[in-house]
Amino acid sequence: MLLDTHVHLGHWPFTFVPERSAAQLAADLRKNGIRRALVSPLDAVLAPDPLPANRALFAAVRRTPALLPVATINPALAHWRQQLDHAATGPLQAIELYPNYHNYRLDSPRFDTFLAEVAKRKLKLIISVRLEDDRHRYFALNIKNVPTKSLTAFLKRHPQLHPLLLGLGLPDIRALAKTCGNFSTDTAFVEWIYSIQTLVREFPVSRILFGSHTPFLITKASLAKLTTAKLPKATRAAIEHGNAERFFGL
Amino acid sequence: MRAIDIHTHPVCFAKGYSRKEINAFADQALAQGVQQMVSLGDVLVFGSHPTEKQVRIINDQTHQVMRWRPEYFVGFCALNPRLGEKAVMQEVERCIALGFSGLKLEISNNARDACMKPVMAAAARWNVPVLQHTWSMTNIRQRHLHSDPEDTAALARRHPNVQVIMAHLTGCGYRGVLEAKGVDNLVVDTSGGFPESGILDYALEHLGADHIVYGSDLPIRETGVTLERTLAGTMSAAELDKVLYGNTRRILKL
Repeated sequence: MLLDTHVHLGHWPFTFVPERSAAQLAADLRKNGIRRALVSPLDAVLAPDPLPANRALFAAVRRTPALLPVATINPALAHWRQQLDHAATGPLQAIELYPNYHNYRLDSPRFDTFLAEVAKRKLKLIISVRLEDDRHRYFALNIKNVPTKSLTAFLKRHPQLHPLLLGLGLPDIRALAKTCGNFSTDTAFVEWIYSIQTLVREFPVSRILFGSHTPFLITKASLAKLTTAKLPKATRAAIEHGNAERFFGL
Repeated sequence: MRAIDIHTHPVCFAKGYSRKEINAFADQALAQGVQQMVSLGDVLVFGSHPTEKQVRIINDQTHQVMRWRPEYFVGFCALNPRLGEKAVMQEVERCIALGFSGLKLEISNNARDACMKPVMAAAARWNVPVLQHTWSMTNIRQRHLHSDPEDTAALARRHPNVQVIMAHLTGCGYRGVLEAKGVDNLVVDTSGGFPESGILDYALEHLGADHIVYGSDLPIRETGVTLERTLAGTMSAAELDKVLYGNTRRILKL
């Protein structure tokens, strides 16, 4: 019954991980018990315009219902309305932002109109905070993770929004949770000896969604922190799929 | 599946130092197939340059951990090479007498520095391995304190009679694997970092299973995650047994 909120399809030039087709990806996820996954197009992250990669992703997963495509939106580009129009043609009313890779600050007033439009269209908002461990990412890709300070300013500026933040670590969650309650998190970069038990102790269960960050991270390893955690049945079900189903209206 | 974890910190930043917590720490790993663990000590609790007294405190804690679970924990003696030859030799001698089985270097200096000579001499004299914290310094740029894989490989080449363990495969990265290639007395441990795809298979291809050892970096990481990243790769059953168990058993003479 697992629903994975953090999966990518496409090519990433800084690893030797083989690129998979949509069918191969769905089969690999299914082997690990993941029946449905939100999938974003990796090629949109480094592209000058995310639309072609979004179109390619939507076409690629058309015959693979286990993969729910999430369009990557770059609100700093003039045609963001066109990007949103295309995003709405998919099965999931959700979009994903990469502020660090697309070179903008989320809390800038410049994006108020865009975010108002996102709210008006009732699109669920996903923000990628971290794709890679910046301590050893490719040296020429001089990009930092989205700073907690910027996320805090953004969440305070837009209290009506409740985004899913992907790629937060435990220290990030602790820092954000001190002042903001309007966000949910995935589990991919949360790691400590008892990762999920620790997170559940410190953060509302209803805002924790399972994310493997496949193919950057090994699916089965990402899943292990959940499968080995000692959790009440209801808590496990909520993190494995229930919270994501509610968040995305599935 | 059987495993020995060559890289753990049962006491970490002054937390976890009680018999109850140490037992829980060991039992959760034992339940997942980790039959023994190397305890490297609370190596950063006093910062990057612990004094002689602070080094003794770290190692005394490790000794206590070993005494609480003697069948489970193997102790490594933490050192600050910058304290000089006399201090290093005295502490190694003291720890070897207490039953320690290896030496642990953190971030007091770079592995190429001259202050490493007495450390390696002590390792050779007592025939124990040296585990060196290693991470790619391309982005971090603190090479005066940290060791890049290039530095740790150089250390192993300079001292071919000492078994060197290069810590943190993921942090060493693809370049680090290539630095470690062809150095007979060097193994890379799999501890540290998130379970990134591809790097372990790359290490297997270039280093071979004889030069990779399983490590977790508990409690910063999780046993289940670190085991699964190893099990999920392309290794044969024989290669897995070497990486998870056999190589470390050989290195530690267990």
